[in-house]
Amino acid sequence: MKKHYNGYLIAGLIISGIIIIMTIIGMFWTPYSPTAMSGAAKLQAPSLAHLFGTDNFGRDIFSRVLKGAGTTLTIAVATVAIGAFFGTLIGANTGYFGGIVDDILMRLNDAVTAFPSILLALLIISLTGTGKKYNVILALGIVFIPSFARLMRTTYASYRNANYIISARLMGAGSGRIMMIHILPNTVRVLLPALTIGFNNAVLAEASMSFLGIGVAPPDASLGYMLSDAQGMFSVAPWYAVCTGLVIILLVFGVGLIGAGMQKQGSGVN
Amino acid sequence: MKYTAKKIVLMLVTMILVSFLTYTAFELVSGDPAQAMLGTEATPARLAALREELGLNRPFLIRYFSWLGGLFTGNLGVSFSYKLPVWQLIAPKIEVTLWLCLISFILITVISLPLGIWSYRRSGKIWDFMHTAFNQLCMAIPPFFIGILLSWGFGIVLRVFTPGNLPDLHAHFFDAIRYLFFAAVCLAIPRSAMTVRMMRSTVIGEMEQAYVRTAISRGNDRRAVLTRHVLKNSLVPVVTFLGQTMAELIGGSIVVEQVFGIPGLGRFLVASISNRDYPVVQAIVVILAFWVVLTGTAADLVNQRIDPRLRLEGKR
Amino acid sequence: MLEIKDLHVKFHNRDREAVSGVSLTIEDGEILGLVGESGSGKTVTAMSIAGLLPRKQCRTSGEVLFEGYNLLTADRKILRSLQGKKIGVVFQEPMSAMDPLMRVGEQVGECLRIHTDLTKEERRERVLKSLEEVDLPDPESVYTKYPHELSGGMLQRAMIAAAIVIRPSLLLLDEPTTALDVTIQAQILELLKRLNKDLGISMLFISHNLNVVRKICRRVAVMQRGELVETGSTEQVFFHPEHPYTKHLIESIPTRDKRKENA
Repeated sequence: MKKHYNGYLIAGLIISGIIIIMTIIGMFWTPYSPTAMSGAAKLQAPSLAHLFGTDNFGRDIFSRVLKGAGTTLTIAVATVAIGAFFGTLIGANTGYFGGIVDDILMRLNDAVTAFPSILLALLIISLTGTGKKYNVILALGIVFIPSFARLMRTTYASYRNANYIISARLMGAGSGRIMMIHILPNTVRVLLPALTIGFNNAVLAEASMSFLGIGVAPPDASLGYMLSDAQGMFSVAPWYAVCTGLVIILLVFGVGLIGAGMQKQGSGVN
Repeated sequence: MKYTAKKIVLMLVTMILVSFLTYTAFELVSGDPAQAMLGTEATPARLAALREELGLNRPFLIRYFSWLGGLFTGNLGVSFSYKLPVWQLIAPKIEVTLWLCLISFILITVISLPLGIWSYRRSGKIWDFMHTAFNQLCMAIPPFFIGILLSWGFGIVLRVFTPGNLPDLHAHFFDAIRYLFFAAVCLAIPRSAMTVRMMRSTVIGEMEQAYVRTAISRGNDRRAVLTRHVLKNSLVPVVTFLGQTMAELIGGSIVVEQVFGIPGLGRFLVASISNRDYPVVQAIVVILAFWVVLTGTAADLVNQRIDPRLRLEGKR
Repeated sequence: MLEIKDLHVKFHNRDREAVSGVSLTIEDGEILGLVGESGSGKTVTAMSIAGLLPRKQCRTSGEVLFEGYNLLTADRKILRSLQGKKIGVVFQEPMSAMDPLMRVGEQVGECLRIHTDLTKEERRERVLKSLEEVDLPDPESVYTKYPHELSGGMLQRAMIAAAIVIRPSLLLLDEPTTALDVTIQAQILELLKRLNKDLGISMLFISHNLNVVRKICRRVAVMQRGELVETGSTEQVFFHPEHPYTKHLIESIPTRDKRKENA
């Protein structure tokens, strides 16, 4: 049983691992400079010299994709970290203590989740200003807090009155200690798959925002921004859009498989 | 009845909260609308006059409630960049976006509900693997990427529609629907995959319930077990999910409208954000959020018709 | 009326046979008790009679003969025509055994809908009569209630009503009183006894509780680890158990005298 489900995990780790390692390499070294233009090498189809071809300025698309994936990855990781950290903080406290604070925060949570995530991100971006990487991280980070908070709230609430928690309380453990040491390790099983889903949503949301031109702006180039760039020259350089899109798809697909694998393994163990 | 009333009250509370949060947020950042409309060259006298005209001298709460009332009377203020009433600008766009979401919603329902039921029967290891892999793949494709491919393939190569030139919804209804159809497909693909997955796991879960054994012991055949018992029991989570789908479609439409050049609410929203046209942004954001709250409540009310247990307790 | 010959059932995901070599007969009009601890194979035996074994997930051999068919190998169509119509089943947990979204009346009348051509009105009449037979107060209102609106005891009566509405010749009762309070348990046992006498329905009563079985069955079979270890009249098994396992089972019944001894 367990052996079989590991297949998802392994496939996911391989697919996303390759892309992530390439991306990390791309942060330090790229085959060509991603901004170097070349009049001689305009709009070339993929070849050995230019794996993904070149764009209308003769820039190497492979190098640009590596660089862009770096931006996308940084934003996604930072966003999920913000969402998971604050979400856990809020969810743990409301779930563990309950009471009126819990009620108020959950109502607020309802109100915030009334906005589709992309709409909320746009709203925050429009308030903080467009085109800056940190604003994108901030906006998406805030967007992801409620879902993590909700997840952690239910998890903490379900452990609140577990027998071993009550006995820990009777032995004099403080609330903070109980939340950190006794409950937190138990949430890993639900938190890890949620992190993979969050990561994927972050990648897709960032790509959407940059595609719309209100996310990352030059000189930073993310994959979404490059796709909107590529749409304009699809007839002359279809490889641009296709290669960039495939990188996004493979990244999200790989991480999604990891999440599915973890979920199945989790349910198999229990 | 009590349940219905409770849900509706809850919906109204959420709506007020949503609109209040939005209004406050924009009030904090947008600065002086009179200044924004007249530019920096304006004389103090003219500014004061315009402020008076726009009612900016009234207390904050009064302004909020009159704006909230404007949502229902169509008086939502004046756009900074177009100098036209906001409602007049967005009313035709609401219709376009609504059609787009509606077509997409129908596609999702028509594709994924039968597929979900079909796929539950195929639950061996290999099917399970293929199913999960295919699903993850569909969810990994950004709608705008399919959009780029479709608008190029059907728009530019096959010339089924002219990208960037949506026919008028009233004069050329079917042409417009055909145009919107391709955008709707992009929206529907990832969400259909999710719906199939959740449908499948729900039906598989219900099939393990004890009442299924009872139903078989009475001589129901496989089909009757499914149609008379399991499907109805699987419906509640599916309806909730479809309610959320409506919300997701609204979000997704923002991007897809951009790809296909559809003059809908989403595209206007993005343009207005770039122009810092706050009255427009504010209005669109709140209208979209209301739409989400409304569909969520509708799903809850439908569920309450399906499952009598939900009528008892107000909480879910 | 029913004869089990050398029944073996083995699930693919288990090493041990769930039922190995059970031979049993249920006589016309009797209530046969089947006793054993959980995992002894008594429920699997009943499920193989009711045709509820997932055929793909297990291997069976032997015969379960009923009305001239071997239920283990009979065509699904034939099996379905017997299920509900000739063989009724009552399960342990009435709350989960009932479809939560279907009105009780409709569930009680389900066998009629499947196996007869009665009109809706005629079915309703029969259902109401059946609800009355199981001593449910105010059948009219029970008819339109949903399962969650009834108590466990009432639901179990409704389940019995559903099983007998079409007058089957055999009723399989899988721990029908285990989930209920002691007082309600006694009422249900009385009801079953009466139905057995008045309607002449044969019953297979499964329980892990020897005391309950003693109250209702004249003959009892004891199972342990998939095997039948002892069969005989209740009196004989109770007062002169032959198999050590049966002795052990009887000794473990808490009685007032024993508690005194321990004290």
